[in-house]
Amino acid sequence: MTDTYASGDVIRLDGVTKTYQADAPPAVADVSMSVAAGQVVAVMGPSGSGKSTLLNLIAGLDRPTAGTVTVAGRRIDTLGESALARFRARHVGIIFQFFNLLDDLTVEDNVLLPAQLAGASRRVARARAGELLARMGIEQYRNAYPARMSGGQRQRVAIARALVNEPEVLLADEPTGALDTATGQQIGQLLRQLNERGQTMVLVTHDAVLARRYAARTVQIVDGQLAGAVGAGVPA
Amino acid sequence: MSSPRLSWLGAVRTATGGMLRHKMQAVVIGLVLLVSTASATLGLALLAAGNAPFMHAFAAQDGADLAVSVNTAHATTAQLAATRSLHGVTAAAGPFAEATVQLQYKGQSWGQFTMVGRTSPGGPVDRVVLASGHWPDAPGQVVLDTASQNGGGLQLRNTLNVTGLPRARSLTVVGFANSVTDSADGWVVPGEIADLQTPGTPPSGELLYRFTSAGSEAQIGTDLAEVTGALPPGTVTGHYPWLAAESQNTSNGAIMEPFVVAFALIGLAMAVLIVGNVVSGAVVAGYYRIGVLKSVGLTPAQVVVAYVSRVGLPALAGVVTGVVAGNVLAMPVLKQSAQAYGVGSQQVPLWASVVAPAGMLALTVLAAFGPALRAGRLSATQAIAAGRAPAAGRGYAVHRLASRLRLPRPVGLGLAAPFARPTRTAVSLAAIAFGATAVIFAFGLNSSLGRAAAAQTLSATVPVEIQPNGPGTGAGPGQWPDAAQDATVTAALRAQPGTAHQVAVYQDGVKMPGLPGTVNAFEFGGDSSWLGYGLIAGHWSGAPGQVDVNTSFLNDSGLSVGDTATVDTGTAQVTVHIAGEVFYPDSTPTVFGSTRTLPGLTTAGNLQQWDVALRPGTSTAGYVQAVNGALGGGSPWTATTQKNGGQFYSVAVGLVGTLSLMVGIAAGLGVLNTVLMTTRDRVHDLGIFKALGMRPGQVLTMVVCWIAIPAVVAGVIAAPAAVALNAATVRAMAGTAHTGVPASFTQVFPPSRLALLALAALVIAAAGALAPASWAARARPAVALRTE
Repeated sequence: MTDTYASGDVIRLDGVTKTYQADAPPAVADVSMSVAAGQVVAVMGPSGSGKSTLLNLIAGLDRPTAGTVTVAGRRIDTLGESALARFRARHVGIIFQFFNLLDDLTVEDNVLLPAQLAGASRRVARARAGELLARMGIEQYRNAYPARMSGGQRQRVAIARALVNEPEVLLADEPTGALDTATGQQIGQLLRQLNERGQTMVLVTHDAVLARRYAARTVQIVDGQLAGAVGAGVPA
Repeated sequence: MSSPRLSWLGAVRTATGGMLRHKMQAVVIGLVLLVSTASATLGLALLAAGNAPFMHAFAAQDGADLAVSVNTAHATTAQLAATRSLHGVTAAAGPFAEATVQLQYKGQSWGQFTMVGRTSPGGPVDRVVLASGHWPDAPGQVVLDTASQNGGGLQLRNTLNVTGLPRARSLTVVGFANSVTDSADGWVVPGEIADLQTPGTPPSGELLYRFTSAGSEAQIGTDLAEVTGALPPGTVTGHYPWLAAESQNTSNGAIMEPFVVAFALIGLAMAVLIVGNVVSGAVVAGYYRIGVLKSVGLTPAQVVVAYVSRVGLPALAGVVTGVVAGNVLAMPVLKQSAQAYGVGSQQVPLWASVVAPAGMLALTVLAAFGPALRAGRLSATQAIAAGRAPAAGRGYAVHRLASRLRLPRPVGLGLAAPFARPTRTAVSLAAIAFGATAVIFAFGLNSSLGRAAAAQTLSATVPVEIQPNGPGTGAGPGQWPDAAQDATVTAALRAQPGTAHQVAVYQDGVKMPGLPGTVNAFEFGGDSSWLGYGLIAGHWSGAPGQVDVNTSFLNDSGLSVGDTATVDTGTAQVTVHIAGEVFYPDSTPTVFGSTRTLPGLTTAGNLQQWDVALRPGTSTAGYVQAVNGALGGGSPWTATTQKNGGQFYSVAVGLVGTLSLMVGIAAGLGVLNTVLMTTRDRVHDLGIFKALGMRPGQVLTMVVCWIAIPAVVAGVIAAPAAVALNAATVRAMAGTAHTGVPASFTQVFPPSRLALLALAALVIAAAGALAPASWAARARPAVALRTE
């Protein structure tokens, strides 16, 4: 199935296929979809359906076997590793299910890291990190280490880190999957607030409630293929 | 329910499965064991080779206790043969016909050679070891002593011309060999000797004996008297005791022993360190898998079995190939060592080929045992947690500090990383320090040996020597050049515009009251201050009445620089002032002075040679040709270029290079292993870094920086360690050669050079880290993020 396209799309996939092993079925098969600026799209599907692979392809963490991936106006499937890394640093923020924070860095250093890798000035990066930590309500933990924080707090750090370079696209892979219900709802609220400020987002989840509550559009993926869309074209 | 035996097999099988899944780690374990076992084998072989090499070779090759030269015209064959059954003779060989010849190579005088006719290299006494080529099987062929190959650069198939014979003769080099007792300079077929005999010289033969008692000079004297007494008067014309050969080897090759031992010990220490690090690292890396296996029922004892199995197979493969590689590698090194020791051949002893792999395997098991025991005691969840990350809290403060520094972020992250695994970092640091020490030490030793060679051979200051062509070339048969012939040399040298300095050198034995035996005396017939002897203390004897002496002289006489001594020249007793101690490695006490200080020794027979220095820009070859042209073809004197570049020194320098290269490679491999293990530990973090936008170049920088601080610290440790090691080794070498050392021999590390050499630590670290760093840089972020 093919999603609809619109002008001003921030994410656009055309006939994207990803195969890991030649004799195995593709993880993602001939997927075409787009995400408009400021839209929140939830990608849902059972385990092993290809949700995370789709997210990795959009993030430029992996390359498609076939098809084209255009994000923030650039075709990223043809970029070299260095250009892709530079692209990720500047245009994409990623939130992981298990936070993927670096345990040996403080909260502030974790948040600063993408900015420093992108070559941002120290002063500007620190100011931006401070602002984000305040917005996430964890300013008091800036010198703490992630291992001593709760799951919700860690995910807030991860969100701050994802936003530090003000990316056009925020990608979240099961952002509430490792959290209890109440904390998951808090994180959901945070994501909604970000979207209200115009942040484009792709949420990978198998939590139907989260998708329904916070995404303007839900894309179903089964066995690597798009199986349907709910609320297509509805603006956030 | 399965039987206990099956349970053990199951543990081994699961561990082996893990090993196969981590092929790279298995390869590294195998590779490290290979290099370590090879270097341990080589180290042990060199230690064995350096342990009394002369005595071992003497026993193995049935060296001659006494070589006796006889005038075969004075005794019958039966009389000579009868000496074989004299009292005390246990074995004898010969008589072998011998002749002293003057050789030329490419028109240049190549010196005097004693040629012996032998049908084969074997026999009951003095079995000659053929190093290359084949034994002469036809006239016109010669096997030369290996010394002539290294010192003069002769090769197989080179042709030498024999001069001074009525009919031109040439000899083709068909082999190089070594006699442990220096019984000849070359060997030809027996029938060739008669044709090599200079007209007018008596026929000569060589008899070789082994005696029941020949351990001391007195015993050898008794043995010689026995042989001499059994033959008609005048038959024995010369003799060469084994003690003289031993002394010659001690003052040459045996001085290698200290640096060979130093390198062997460094190699062994590094092998132990690296194997310990690799194996314990591999075990720690397996914690996660062991945790999972424990959670499905593996017992603590089975964990230990699983661990040892996991490293055991690649280790076994490594040690087996390592011992083979060690033997192969040792062959050329031992060939060099045998040449320097002057003992023909040396082999890797069987015990070294057993002890090295067995020791490395035992070390592997020991290194695996500690972490295995620890893993066995951990609960399944603890093991899983321990396998996923280093202990929480380690290195956090350093990361915090690094983030405050104004460094590129990948550099800061890289520099702080080693503090998470302090033990592993310390072992890597030690490996780099050992490697860098070996490299810096090698450079220093090379310089020290170069200075020693220059001081001993005077090759830097005396490019040309004028040497006699030997007895029989003088005024009459068997006589040395006379005074008139000598005067033509002085005139020829003075006439050459390229002559900067020239001095006649006389040599004779003198006596000194209180000192037993003869004191070797060199007298110079003019200004000798330019010769460039290395001064250990004091100054060069510039005024009449002053002499310089070697260390053996001071040691034997108990005198010091500044003291006076009485020298009996044979014609007069002279009181001399000891002006300085010179570097002249010889166990015989030796004095150096002017002919004015030591009168009565300047006879034509004592004139040994002229030493010549050239003006800048003068071609040495052209000068030699011009002097020989001026002297004429019939002159008993020949100008030659200084060939005595020091066989020992060139062999030693080659050996130093080989050994330091090996140690450096082993150190680099140790670093490779550490970085690989750290990369595996941190592969998930690498995925995160990449996901956050770290570029491949930044990843490469970060990973190389992991090892930067240990490398800098290793360099800081290695530099002074190498300086100290070099000084100690040079002094130990000099001590073996019966000499002190001029300070300049050990002061070979000016600060700028030392700083530059200390960078060897960084080079080793970077070289070792580059491969895993490149792998980390190339890894796909999605793959790295998925990896546990």
